Amino acid sequence: IRSSPNPRYRQRLPGPLPPGLARWFPALEVLDVSGTGLAALGSELLSLPRLHTLLAKNNRLGGPGSLPKGLAEAPLLGRSLRVLNLSGNRFAELPAALLGLRGLQSLSLGSNRLHSIPPEIQELRSLEFLYLGGNFITSIPPELASLPSLSYLVLCDNKIQSVPPQLAQLHSLRSLSLHNNLLTYLPREILNLVHLEELSLRGNPLVVRFVRDLTYNPPSLQELAGRTIKSRNVSYTPGDLPGNLLRYLHLASNCPNPKCGGVYFDSCVRQIKFVDFCGKYRLPLMHYLCSPECSSPCSSASQSSTSQSESDSEDEAIVAAHRMQKVLLG
Amino acid sequence: MEQPVQTQMWKAQTLEELVQILHHLFAGDKVNVAEVQALMDSYDSNPLEWMQYAKFDQYRYTRNLVDQGNGKFNLMILCWGEGHGSSIHDHTDSHCFMKVLQGNLKETLFEWPNKKGIGEMMKKSERVLRENQCAYINDSIGLHRVENTSHTECAVSLHLYSPPFETCSTFDQRTGHKQKVRMTFYSQFGERTPCTLTSGLNKMGRKLNQYLFWFRFSYSQCLLV
Repeated sequence: IRSSPNPRYRQRLPGPLPPGLARWFPALEVLDVSGTGLAALGSELLSLPRLHTLLAKNNRLGGPGSLPKGLAEAPLLGRSLRVLNLSGNRFAELPAALLGLRGLQSLSLGSNRLHSIPPEIQELRSLEFLYLGGNFITSIPPELASLPSLSYLVLCDNKIQSVPPQLAQLHSLRSLSLHNNLLTYLPREILNLVHLEELSLRGNPLVVRFVRDLTYNPPSLQELAGRTIKSRNVSYTPGDLPGNLLRYLHLASNCPNPKCGGVYFDSCVRQIKFVDFCGKYRLPLMHYLCSPECSSPCSSASQSSTSQSESDSEDEAIVAAHRMQKVLLG
Repeated sequence: MEQPVQTQMWKAQTLEELVQILHHLFAGDKVNVAEVQALMDSYDSNPLEWMQYAKFDQYRYTRNLVDQGNGKFNLMILCWGEGHGSSIHDHTDSHCFMKVLQGNLKETLFEWPNKKGIGEMMKKSERVLRENQCAYINDSIGLHRVENTSHTECAVSLHLYSPPFETCSTFDQRTGHKQKVRMTFYSQFGERTPCTLTSGLNKMGRKLNQYLFWFRFSYSQCLLV
C-alpha cells in the first residue's frame, strides 16, 4: 500500500487492538498495526465490516493464535479483506487461518521463517500479489500454479533449488522474482510465460556451460516393454495384465520433444540448453527427453543430442526471442 | 591569473533550495563533484517535500523526473518497492549522484568486464546506504547494481545525472554480456507519464523474420539507476 487512502478511514494504532475497535471505527477500511510489538491479532478484527487492508508488519506474530480464529469465516471481514501484510514477523508456516480468504488479492509474508508453501495456497483464488521473499523456502509446490490471477510472485532470498515446470501455467504472471536462491537451471516451460516482463535471477548458481548428464540410467526392461506397448499402440484389455502393470502403463509421459512420438516412465535424459529470455542472456533451461537419441525440437537431424553448438542455442533463442520482453532486472 | 577552485560548502534546507543551488552549481561547464556531493549530503530528507514525485509501481522500481536542470542535469526520484533492484549498469560517461531519501539501498560495485565479455563479473565492493547518505559514481570508477534488499520497507532515492542521458548499457553478471537499453520515466514533474513502446528490428529480429510470419520487437520500459 503506497497510495494514501482517505485518512478518515485509516488508523495507525500504537498498541494492542482495543476491544471496542469495531464500535469506535465502524467505517475503518485500512488498519496499520505495524511495528507495535503485537504477538497476536485478536478477534476484535473480525467485526470490522469494511476493512480491506490490514498491515501488521514488523511485529511478533507467528505463534499459535496469532491470527483470530474464524478469520476466513467472519461474515464480513472474510470477504472484504483484500490486502494483508504480515512481513517481518515470526511465522514458521503459512497460517491456515488465512487460507479461506477467497477475496484476498495481496499477501505478504516476507522476512518470516517459512520453510515451505502449503499446497492449500491454491485456495486463495483471488490472489494477484504474493510476496514470500526472505524466508527459508526450499521448494515451490506445483499447486501454486493454480492461482488464476497471480501476476506478481516474489520468492527471492530463499533456498529454492528448482522451479516446477507447472509454474508456466501462471498465464497472468508479469513479474517473477527468484534472485538469491539455489537454482542451477530453469525448466524449459518457463518460455511459455508470455506475459512475463520482469524476471530476477541474480545470485543463483546457474550453470554457464553445457553440462553433460553423465548419470543417465538406462531404462529397465519393464520400462522398455512399456514404451514399446505405448509407442506401437499394442492393444490390451484389463484382463490381460496384472493390476500393477496396468497402473504402470497408465503413468506413461509423452516425450517433451513434439517430433518424437515416444513416451517414458521413470527413465529420461536431462539436457541443458541455453536461451536468451526476458532480457537475460544464455539462461540454462532444462529439457527432459526420453532417450539420448531423441533430439530436441529445434536441433538439426545431424546433431547428436549430447553436443552443444552455438547454432543449437541460437535456434532456441530465435524461438524464444519473439516472446522476449525487455527486462532489466539483475 | 587563474582562480583557484574553491569547494564551497552549501546547505540546502529544502528540496526546492537544493534544486536552486544545483542550477547555480551547474551553470558553468565544469562540475565540482565534491561540492555537489556535499550539497546533496546536506539536504535532510523531508517526505512532505518530495512525496508528490514518489510514485511506486508494484512490479519494479520507478524513475520520476523532478527537474531538468536547464539541460545540464537530470534530477529524479527513484521508488523501490520491497526486493526491487536494478541490473548492473554503466552511466554513459556521466556523473551520477545518488542520495537515499527513505529506507536503505545496497550498492554493489563491479569491475568492467573484460573485452570479450565472457566469464563471471568481478565484484569490487558493496555497501548499504542509509537515509540521507549520498554516493557518487562514474564510468571510470566502475559499474554498479542498486537494490532495496528489505522485504518489509520501501526505499526512495534522489538521483542526479550530469550530463543527462537516455541510454546506457546493462551487464549480465554471469557472463559480462552487455546490452544497450533505453531509459524511461514513470512520471515527470509529478505527473504520471506512461511509456510508449517504440519498435525496432535488431539483428536477431531480422533473423526471426525468416521464421515468423509477423512479429513486433519492442523495447518496453527500461528502468535503471
